Amino acid sequence: MMNPTIELTGLEVQLGGRTILRGLTGVLNSRAIGLLGPNGAGKSTLINTLLGFHSPSKGNARVLGLDSLTNGKALRSLVGYMPENDAFISKMSGVRFVRYMAEISGLPPAQAMERAHEAFVYVGLGEARYRPVGTYSLGMKQLAKFAQAIAHGPKVLILDEPTNGMDPPARKRLIELIREIREASDICLLLSSHLLRDVEETCDEVLILRNGQIASICNLVEERRANRKFLELETIGAEATFTSTLEGLGCECAVFTNGRIKVVMPDSVEIREVFRVAADKGVQIRRMNHRRDSLEDIFLNAMEQTGAADGRI
Amino acid sequence: MAVYKRRYNPYTGSLTPEWSRFFVLTRYAFADLFKARFFVVLLVLSLVPILFFASYIFIANNKTAQLLMQLRSAGLFSVETQYFIVIMMVQTKAAFLLNCWVGPVLIAGDLTNGAVPLFLSRPFTRADYVLGKLAVLGLLLSAVTWVPCLLLFSLQAGLATDGWIWSHLWMVVPIVLCSAIWILMLSLISLAVSAWVKLRIVATGVIFISFFIPAGLGEMFNAIMSTRWGILLNFSYMFRLILAKGFRERSGLLGSFGWDEIPVAAAWAVLILVCLLSLVILNARLRARETVRG
Repeated sequence: MMNPTIELTGLEVQLGGRTILRGLTGVLNSRAIGLLGPNGAGKSTLINTLLGFHSPSKGNARVLGLDSLTNGKALRSLVGYMPENDAFISKMSGVRFVRYMAEISGLPPAQAMERAHEAFVYVGLGEARYRPVGTYSLGMKQLAKFAQAIAHGPKVLILDEPTNGMDPPARKRLIELIREIREASDICLLLSSHLLRDVEETCDEVLILRNGQIASICNLVEERRANRKFLELETIGAEATFTSTLEGLGCECAVFTNGRIKVVMPDSVEIREVFRVAADKGVQIRRMNHRRDSLEDIFLNAMEQTGAADGRI
Repeated sequence: MAVYKRRYNPYTGSLTPEWSRFFVLTRYAFADLFKARFFVVLLVLSLVPILFFASYIFIANNKTAQLLMQLRSAGLFSVETQYFIVIMMVQTKAAFLLNCWVGPVLIAGDLTNGAVPLFLSRPFTRADYVLGKLAVLGLLLSAVTWVPCLLLFSLQAGLATDGWIWSHLWMVVPIVLCSAIWILMLSLISLAVSAWVKLRIVATGVIFISFFIPAGLGEMFNAIMSTRWGILLNFSYMFRLILAKGFRERSGLLGSFGWDEIPVAAAWAVLILVCLLSLVILNARLRARETVRG
């Protein structure tokens, strides 16, 4: 049986006399996990605990079955980590910096050099690889950090706010790279971000933290599948006969002004049935939307809830 | 992840043994150091006295050279215990200056740019990190202290006749042992201070004064309390005391010691204590994440 990607058992972490994580308990099995929460929710503390930087005061955290405290070294040998804050050696050239980090991860010098060049070209910094990292722009530094996280070919990629300080095209490019890496290998991904869109575009499952507690664990794949059955339509034409026919197929319909209709389809009905009925009834479908703001809804719901037990709100 | 294909491939090749990875830090640090002209000049200057010491040994053992230089008194050139004490004193001072410059370069850069989490998020511990940096200073300071000193000892042993080597072989122990404690203490102080203040230039200054301010405080303590124990804060004095004891030197070449007042064990204890204190500071400052208390 495969180990869960992340397993938290009553995880409590205290830093400087304050309790930051309050008895988190949960199992995340997906290969791409998003970590969401407002500032101070404990996202970075959780990542640091998984990496063994902080010791739990109670409970434990496991990544791929390895305890962060007792198997820290073995766990970190699987990890590629991109920290949130600036982390580089300013006078080193980009490619030498990545090579250095790859060698510390255990790659022999020649292979480390090869992988460093490949990683730099892969993230789109090929032209700047011989420049000192200290001279890079904020976005370039983010990409250099990403390159050092992937150069040694980790099995678990931990990205803490990877798109911070990046302009929209660079952000889009980085998100594409993350998705590509996820699909091209059996790598597990843990991505922490304030940006719901980043998480939605790259992750299959989200862990939402609030005040050091789990506000929600949500499987986005299942949510997306469910949302595929929820349509918002703008129509022109005979609405009443159109909706009654759809209801005859088992759909639930709610009609609003200006021809707007919301439809919840049963599993047996496909979207093409809706088009067929519209064509039969002479209804023009001017706009059709799947519900798209699911993660935002989940996040806002999680933020609105209060009270907690067992680290769960 | 081949460059021309521009796609990601996991790494499936071999890995280096875990125990050897600390040496990656050492290798990169040396490569960076030798790029700095100032360091090369400093290193060469640290080794220049060795040439003079070697020339002296050569002349001392070569009658022809002495005649050519019209030196009448053979006693003028004697290579005995005191000569090696002088070598040790000169070279340990050179090591101190070299350490003041190199120590902060090694560690302050990593801390100011937040690179420590990158090291510690790998199968690489803080002990590996400190060992890697310590190895740089260890190798470098060895290259200007006990290694040239032993080479000069070998040169003298090779040139001298009448069994000089056997009557002086005991000196190898104090040469190595005194250098070792001095190198260890200097290296740990410079790493700890660099980790504490983080800024390279400031760290260099603090390392420099960390030898003088405690000594001054010790003298004040002596004056106020009418005691000799304040001298324990004078690390250079403690080292000279160990050196004098190691080389069985009582001629006053290394200064006048109150032999009965400060036992050599106390001097060893002070230097070891300084090393331990430096390790405690390193342990506190070298963290992947700093914890804000409150």
